[in-house]
Amino acid sequence: MKKAILPRALAAIALGSASLFAMTAAQAKEITIWCWDPNFNVAIMKEAGAIYAKTHPDVTFNVVDFAKADVEAKLQTGLVSGVTDSLPDIVLIEDYGAQKYLQSFPGSFEPMTGTVDYSKFAPYKVALATVEGETYSMPFDSGVTGLYYRKDYIEAAGFTPADMQNLTWDRYIEIGKTVLEKTGHHMLGLDPNDAGMIRIMMQSGGEWYFTEDGDLNISGNAALKAALETEAKILQSGIAKPAAGWSNWVGTFTSGDVASVITGVWITGTVKATLDQENKWGVAPIPTLDIPGAVAASNLGGSSWYVLSSSDVKSEAVDFLNEIYGKDVDFYQKILTGQGAVGSLMEARNGPAYAVADPFFGGEKIWQNFADWLAMVPSLNYGIFTNEVDAAVASQLPPLGKGGSVDDALAAIEAQARSAIQ
Amino acid sequence: MDLYFQRLRGGLVYLFLITAAFLSIFPFLWMVLGATNTSADISRGKFGLGGALFDNIVSFLAFADVPLILWNSLKIALLTTLFTLAVASIAGYGFEIFRSRLRDRLYRVLLLTLMIPFAALMIPLFIMMGKLHLINTHWAVILPSIGSAFIIFYFRQSTKAFPLELRDAARVDGLKEWQIFLLIYVPVMRSTYAAAFVIVFMTAWNNYLWPLIVLQSNDTKTITLVVSSIASAYYPDYGAVMVSAILATLPTLIVFFLMQRQFVQGMLGSVK
Repeated sequence: MKKAILPRALAAIALGSASLFAMTAAQAKEITIWCWDPNFNVAIMKEAGAIYAKTHPDVTFNVVDFAKADVEAKLQTGLVSGVTDSLPDIVLIEDYGAQKYLQSFPGSFEPMTGTVDYSKFAPYKVALATVEGETYSMPFDSGVTGLYYRKDYIEAAGFTPADMQNLTWDRYIEIGKTVLEKTGHHMLGLDPNDAGMIRIMMQSGGEWYFTEDGDLNISGNAALKAALETEAKILQSGIAKPAAGWSNWVGTFTSGDVASVITGVWITGTVKATLDQENKWGVAPIPTLDIPGAVAASNLGGSSWYVLSSSDVKSEAVDFLNEIYGKDVDFYQKILTGQGAVGSLMEARNGPAYAVADPFFGGEKIWQNFADWLAMVPSLNYGIFTNEVDAAVASQLPPLGKGGSVDDALAAIEAQARSAIQ
Repeated sequence: MDLYFQRLRGGLVYLFLITAAFLSIFPFLWMVLGATNTSADISRGKFGLGGALFDNIVSFLAFADVPLILWNSLKIALLTTLFTLAVASIAGYGFEIFRSRLRDRLYRVLLLTLMIPFAALMIPLFIMMGKLHLINTHWAVILPSIGSAFIIFYFRQSTKAFPLELRDAARVDGLKEWQIFLLIYVPVMRSTYAAAFVIVFMTAWNNYLWPLIVLQSNDTKTITLVVSSIASAYYPDYGAVMVSAILATLPTLIVFFLMQRQFVQGMLGSVK
C-alpha cells in the first residue's frame, strides 16, 4: 500500500500540471512563429500577421521571440529529437545557416517552389535556400551592402561626394590616409577578430568559402585571396580604428569618430539614430575588388522564413507568407519606413517609400540605390559550414594585420577549416 | 622596525582586498549605472549617472509582460528548491544513516552522474518530456532538476556531523524513523537546509539552457530567457537590457543577503 503512494502522487502532479500549465491545444488556425529581434523581425512579423488577418479572420498569429542563437538551439533540439509537436509552424533562419538546416534535416522544411514566384526576388536570396531544384524559403530581409561616409570629413580632407563613387579598394585606402592626416579621423572602425569585411569583399568577387557543389574553396579562391590582401592593407595602413566587439564597433561611428562604414543596409537605422549627424552622411556603392568579374555590390547577413513540414497548418503558413511577403508591395513600404527593413522582393522598389529622398542623407534617394545594388549581388552557395570557416578566417586576421603573408594565412585557413568540418 | 613591516603588510593586504572587491563589484556598478543611461551613452562607454532610468524601465516594460515573467521564474525557482531539498535531504540522510551492502556502490554511481555534461542529456530528456506531454510547461523545467546529485552529496556530507546519539535516544523514546527525520534531523540541520536553499534557488533562478529548450511561448518564459532575447537585437537597447539584468539579479541577491548568516553556518557545518 505504502509503495503505491509515490507513483500515484507523481501521476497526480503530472496530470494536474499538464492541465495547469500546458498551453491550451492550439486553436484550429493558429500560426506559431519563432524569430529574434523584437524591434525588427518580431515587429515586422506582427505587422504581416495583422495585414493577413484582415482578409483571413480565422487565422491568428503567435510570434515568439528568442535570441538568434536560442532559436537555433531550440530548432536543432526539436529536429534532432523528432519531437515535432514542439516545433513552430514558421521559423526565421539566418541565410548563412540555411543550407546546414536544409541538408542536415531533409524533409523537415516545406518546399514552396510550386507556390511562390521566385523570379520576383533577388536571385542570390533564392539560390541560398535552394537544394536540388527545390526552394524552401520565403526570402526576407537583405543585407545588401553600402559605403556610408561622412561628407563633412571627406570634404574637410579635400574630396567631394563624387570622389566616393566607383572606388577601388586601393583608392578607398588612399582617401582614408588623407582623411586621417587632415582631419585626425580614422576612415573606418574595424574589429580585427571579425571576418564580416572579408565576407563582404569575397561575395562582391563572386566567390564563397564553398564552390557551387559545396566543396571547400579556399586555396584556389581568387576573391578570398584578394579580400585578405585588401584587409591586410587596410589594417597595415592605419586608417582603421580597432574595435572590440559589436557594440564597440557601432560606437566608432555613432560617436562621430570615423569617416565611413561599410556594412549591410540594416545599419541605416542605427546611423540615422545619431540625430546630431543629420545631413552629414552620404551613401555610395562599396569599393570593388581588383579581380575580373568583381562588382560594387555585396551582402552581409540577412535571413529568410521557413515553414516546417511537421506543422499542421502548413498550407495556411505557406499561403500567408506568399500573400504578404511574396506579393504585397505596400507591406514592404511599411517595413521600410517603420523598421528600415529592405526586403528581397524586387518590385517593392517601385513603391513610394523607396522613392523618398531622405533628408538625413542630404536628400539622397538611398533606398533606390540599395534596391539597384540588391539586384547586382552575386548568387552563391553559402554551403553548410560557413560559420566554421568564418572562425578559421577570423583567427588569421590579426597576423595579417602584423604583416603576415597572405599565402600562409590561406594555407592556415584551409587546414583549420578542413579539421573543423570533418 | 617590526611595526613598520606589519603596517606595510597590512597596507598591502588592504590594497589587494580593495582591488579584488572593486573587480567583483565593478560589473554590478556598471549594470546599475548603465540602467540610468541611454543606449548611445552606454555604447560610447559613459561611466556615470544618466537621466534615462525612467525611459529604460518603460521600454523594458513594453517589451515583455514583466510581472508574469518574474512570477514564472519565482515559481520555478521556489518549487524546484522545495522539491530538491525534500528529496535530497531524505536521500542524503538515508545514505549516511542506514547501512546496506549496496549503499556505497549506489552512492558512487550517483556521484558519477555529476560528470555527465548536461548537453549529453538534453536530447533524451527532451524526448522524455515530449512523450510526457510536458513540453512548454514549468514542470518540464522543475522535474529534471529535483534529483540533484550534488545536493544529495552535500546533505550526506553534512549528515556525517549529525550526532547518532540523538537518533538512538529518539528510538529509545519510541519515535518511528520518519518521525526521527522530521522532528529531530530537520530542526538540527536547519543551517544545512538554509545553505542548500540558497544554492538550489540561485541555480534554478539562473538556469538558462534547459528552460530555453523546453519553454516555447512568451507566457511561460523565465527572466533569463527574456534578458537573452532583449539583448539579441541587431542594435540592442542597452538601457533596457541593463534594467532587465538588474531585475534578473536582484532576487538572488535578496535571497543571499537574507540567508547569509545561515549560509555561512551551513557551509561550516550545522552541528556544533
